[in-house]
Amino acid sequence: MTGVVWWLVERASALLDAEERDAVRGDLAELNVAAGRALREVVGLLVRRQLRLWTDWRPWLALAGLVIPLGMLLSLISRQWANTNSIYAWLYVDNWTWSYIETAGARHDLVQICGTFLLECVTLVCWAWTLGFTLGSLSRRTIWVTGTLFGAVLFGGTLGSSTAGLRNPGNAAVFSLMIYRDGFPTLVRTVLVLVPAVIGMRKGVRQATLPLPWALISAVAVVTLTALAAPSVKVSVTWGWWSTSGEGPAIRQLAQLRDSWQLRLLPMLMVWPVAYMVASATRRHWRRQSATA
Amino acid sequence: MGTGALTGLLYYNHNVVVIMLGEFEYLLLSVTARLGDEAYGAAIRAAFEQATGRRCSVGALYTTLDRLEAKGLVQTWMGEATPQRGGRAKRMVRVTARGARQAAQFYRTVVRASRGVSWETTRSLVR
Repeated sequence: MTGVVWWLVERASALLDAEERDAVRGDLAELNVAAGRALREVVGLLVRRQLRLWTDWRPWLALAGLVIPLGMLLSLISRQWANTNSIYAWLYVDNWTWSYIETAGARHDLVQICGTFLLECVTLVCWAWTLGFTLGSLSRRTIWVTGTLFGAVLFGGTLGSSTAGLRNPGNAAVFSLMIYRDGFPTLVRTVLVLVPAVIGMRKGVRQATLPLPWALISAVAVVTLTALAAPSVKVSVTWGWWSTSGEGPAIRQLAQLRDSWQLRLLPMLMVWPVAYMVASATRRHWRRQSATA
Repeated sequence: MGTGALTGLLYYNHNVVVIMLGEFEYLLLSVTARLGDEAYGAAIRAAFEQATGRRCSVGALYTTLDRLEAKGLVQTWMGEATPQRGGRAKRMVRVTARGARQAAQFYRTVVRASRGVSWETTRSLVR
């Protein structure tokens, strides 16, 4: 038992800076502190360190501006896109026939669907990476908290709701299969959102600001992809946030907002992380210019 | 009108100088000054617990030392490692001249404010 507690002390103290970890572990060893108390003390130090970091405004901006709204939006969009593509996958993989290629119209449909799927994949990866980078840049040493919360919102944000496609009896053959009902949405969220977001977070924590040319390239890519995906974003919020009873939107007011200007502006939310990246890169660029002048 | 933003240490309120040094901060400064060149995390903690009879956690110790260092009242650096510490380095601490002035000012204020007060008597009066 004591060995397990000391292992936990080791794991917990790994979250401290290298020098502080050395000093703290050395103090605990020198004073012969018992395992249980050592764990309490190290966790106490970590909590105090985190609380102090949260007196800054940046982690709060990361939480209120990125984790909650964009985490929720990505949760809805990834599930909706996964469900839509599940129907196509069932059609083209589970029920494959060569007539999908032989017939000109069916071939055109297949190419269009594959193209849309690839575009959606690239869009999700770009949104997730830019969100992760900005989250890392704003959170810095609070990234453990904000990153974990982002993961929780991404996977838990849609709990207790469904999608119109999933509730549609016409799609019962597709969603009776667990791989399409649960497996594919989880795969899409993990591979196309969580992984790129974590890679972005790591880079954002280390680098904080991208070089201006890279920030501008990212901005052009994200704005273009967002413009292309805008109609689908609106659909994800209205049809992709359905009550589990299948009666209508999970939030009744969404039905009234369907054609509103608020919903038309919603895709713009996905652009704000890259706008922040460009703003911080521009500021650094001008500072360097004025320093060398 | 406060001047805390300028000095980070003092606030003037109704012409009364209030030292922004907490009791725990003052006690740590005193213990550190007493230990001299032997002042580091574990030694400060042991001396503090012996002098006050109160527990001092690693979290309270290191976050307070950080605060004191940010105020310019102590200076810290990583010292050598010893076998009894499992080969891990010490965080050495030294009170700066500014820290010594602030601690002395705090002490004088407490002594001045306590002049003519007998806490034994006062406690019995409250009863």
